[in-house]
Amino acid sequence: MLNDVTFGQYYPTKSFVHRADPRIKLLALIAYIVALFLAKNFYAMAACVIVLIATVIASRVPFGSVLRSVKAIIFLLIFTAVLNLFFHGGEHLLVEWGIIKIYREGIIFTVFFVLRLFFLVMGSALLTLTTTPVELTDGIESLLTPLKWIRFPVHELALIMSIALRFIPTLIDETNRIISAQKARGADFESGNIFKRIKAIVPILIPLLISAFRRAEELGDAMDARCYSGSKNRTKYKKLKFGWRDIIITLLFAALITGVVLLNIYGNRIFPEIYEFIRLS
Amino acid sequence: MEKTENVIEFDNVKFSYPGSDGIFAVNGVSLTVNRGEFISVIGHNGSGKSTLARLINGLLEADSGKITVLGLDVSEGKNPLEIRKHVGIVFQNPDNQMVASIVEDDVAFGPENIGVEREEIGRRIDWALKAVGMEEFRHSTPTRLSGGQKQRIAVAGVLAVKPDILILDESTAMLDPKGRREVIEVVQRLNKEEGMTVILITHFMEEALLADRTIVMNRGEIVLSGTPEEIFESGDKLETYNLCLPRITEIINTLNGAGMKIDNVLRPEQLSAQILENLSGRGITEAASSPVKKTEILCAHEWDIDVSDLTFTYSKKSPFATKALKGINLHIDEGEFFGIIGHTGSGKSTLVQHLNALIRLPQAQKRYRAKKAKKGQPAPVVPQITVGRFDLTNKKTDFKALRASVGMVFQYPEYQLFAESVFADVAFGLKNFNKNLKPEEVEQAVRESIEVVGLDYNGVKDKSPFDLSGGQKRRVAIAGVIVTKPQVLILDEPAAGLDPLGKKEIMELLHRLHREWCKTVIIVSHDMDEVAENCTKAAVISNGEVVKCDSPANLFSCGDELLALGLDVPLTSKISGELKKSGINILCDCTAEDFARKVIEVYEGGDNA
Repeated sequence: MLNDVTFGQYYPTKSFVHRADPRIKLLALIAYIVALFLAKNFYAMAACVIVLIATVIASRVPFGSVLRSVKAIIFLLIFTAVLNLFFHGGEHLLVEWGIIKIYREGIIFTVFFVLRLFFLVMGSALLTLTTTPVELTDGIESLLTPLKWIRFPVHELALIMSIALRFIPTLIDETNRIISAQKARGADFESGNIFKRIKAIVPILIPLLISAFRRAEELGDAMDARCYSGSKNRTKYKKLKFGWRDIIITLLFAALITGVVLLNIYGNRIFPEIYEFIRLS
Repeated sequence: MEKTENVIEFDNVKFSYPGSDGIFAVNGVSLTVNRGEFISVIGHNGSGKSTLARLINGLLEADSGKITVLGLDVSEGKNPLEIRKHVGIVFQNPDNQMVASIVEDDVAFGPENIGVEREEIGRRIDWALKAVGMEEFRHSTPTRLSGGQKQRIAVAGVLAVKPDILILDESTAMLDPKGRREVIEVVQRLNKEEGMTVILITHFMEEALLADRTIVMNRGEIVLSGTPEEIFESGDKLETYNLCLPRITEIINTLNGAGMKIDNVLRPEQLSAQILENLSGRGITEAASSPVKKTEILCAHEWDIDVSDLTFTYSKKSPFATKALKGINLHIDEGEFFGIIGHTGSGKSTLVQHLNALIRLPQAQKRYRAKKAKKGQPAPVVPQITVGRFDLTNKKTDFKALRASVGMVFQYPEYQLFAESVFADVAFGLKNFNKNLKPEEVEQAVRESIEVVGLDYNGVKDKSPFDLSGGQKRRVAIAGVIVTKPQVLILDEPAAGLDPLGKKEIMELLHRLHREWCKTVIIVSHDMDEVAENCTKAAVISNGEVVKCDSPANLFSCGDELLALGLDVPLTSKISGELKKSGINILCDCTAEDFARKVIEVYEGGDNA
């Protein structure tokens, strides 16, 4: 039942992307999202798509694995796309059907919307597929370090995140076990109306919560016993290193943003006659 | 002579948990531990063993009395933090001690906390992982390791702080025999080679025997203390403390009862030597006992289980695909008390989940399409399972009815309790399977099943299941499965994590269920003695295949094969193996009782069975 939770599961290879500094990867993802939302015409969007495809190839993660992560939001995507398509206003009316009016602007907007969301999710998935949770939290902790100046508990936050990530597989196993055990007692999670299904979750949720609390308590003891006493006087074994790969990635994404901005401005000069149809109004 | 140094000192220490109505979990304990000592602590569940461990490093604070560790008073100021640098505790559940998702990061956690320099942390990780024999897993993810391996990582994480004292708080309770051996070997080596002081808290009498000194706790007090030999000599007394004798001591007692003269030894090879001495004293140097009586199970074969060519792969089509089952063929007759043996990851749990279709055969899945045979090749083998009248290959089989007839009790079933009262929890399954029952019928069935598991119906029915003791919870969980009166009852590690007495009681309960309630009982276990003592027949699963399926007597007669698979053999076959080398052939059904009887039979020279 829960075996489909593949979003962001680390895909172990030793590619260029895998070995890059997680901080740079995080910043690159942010840059990428910015680029996606900056893109105002299809040329700029194409630049974003090409960069993503290039990164996926460089990461040696199969396209299937990256695409699968989009599966989780496919319904959201379709639902909002349809709403946008039908209710987005504009000037050039194409179809009118009762209260539903489809405008050219609506179609373009919907396509943009879908592409943005689609590649945003793919980009994020690529980050988690190529970065171990530990690296990721280290990266976030390192990026947030300046916040220590305003007494923000950066270390604690990073520790909470890394523990959460560490326990996800454990809790998924546990959930599967509880589901099996309740199924063996005749529980039915797959039929009935929505209320029945919600009610059916109780026999899973309660044991799961109790177990999570028990684990938390034991983990707390184990951490205490291993001399944990907050971030004071704490050293760190792993240090992140900035290398040549990171320079390349930085350059690539800087180029992407520049490219997107330039294409936004000068895109209308490429094929002026069709520009109306490929830009966001 | 080297001066002995007290590393831990307890002086009349008392401790009670808040809300325990003044019942002391640790009640007036005085104790000294010398540097380099190996101490084992035994006692029933709730005897205060774990509390003791937590008092030592200040995880808990004593109500009265004084605890000194390495000259520091635990109750004073920041001493606990200092003491924790020198006292490492490894807890029971390896999963709940890991902070990080990568082995080396987890081991680094302790040294990071006490501010060790980076290069030194690297060296400590090297050293700690080497000490537990896990160097090659430095960059692995703990979730993909076996229980024993995980627990060794936990030991390494504690070692990296460089403690003087290592405490293991039931650290082997959740492991299979192989994992247990691994951990214990590491601990023994640390004690001998590094001179580390070790306190081993355990439920396994066999582990307790390895120590220099054994402490027995009962209701928060230390009731016995001495060498393991001395402790287990006091035989009957142990039972009053809700503990069991090690099997070997039971056998010795029976033999001595029949006039043999055997010292209280603790190792199988010592015992076999002593038996030989006794026999040669009577001039017996070569003998064979009477053969094992075959007990044929008469049954209608209405509820036989047949499994053929069963294969199963986890996470198919992913980089983590693992073949769990590689072609299982198995027949289980109605009426058996059947054992399925194998270590963690051998596929035994996967196998039993097929029997009640929790894992459905591919043919019985909605989107199944039969594979066509390629030209010139035989048709692909399709797995088949039948349980009684249920054909598990058929999509139209009533799987709900199947699950009502094939009860399944999972490992640590008490963790699946959820309802507000014991009654509601037990009734849950019953109501799921049959929605049209009248309240009286439900009550009747629930009452019967709560009573058959040995609980007082009126006493517990309205209680919250979470207010019960560990053993009681497990009984309630079992009641919640048997309430549908299943014909076949499957239990995955039914005795896991219980203390010796609890284990004994659960096995007695299963025998009762086998006699009065269900036709076939199947237990999944890695405890060879448990299988030898209880089962009529057993299958050994290794690496997704059935290696052997036979009665315990035949199964364990070739112990070497099992040892080669990383499995253990029961104590009795260890001893009889030794005896066989010297010409004494004891043929027994591998229970301690039968073994002792057969030895006495040879000793008395009688061959009249």
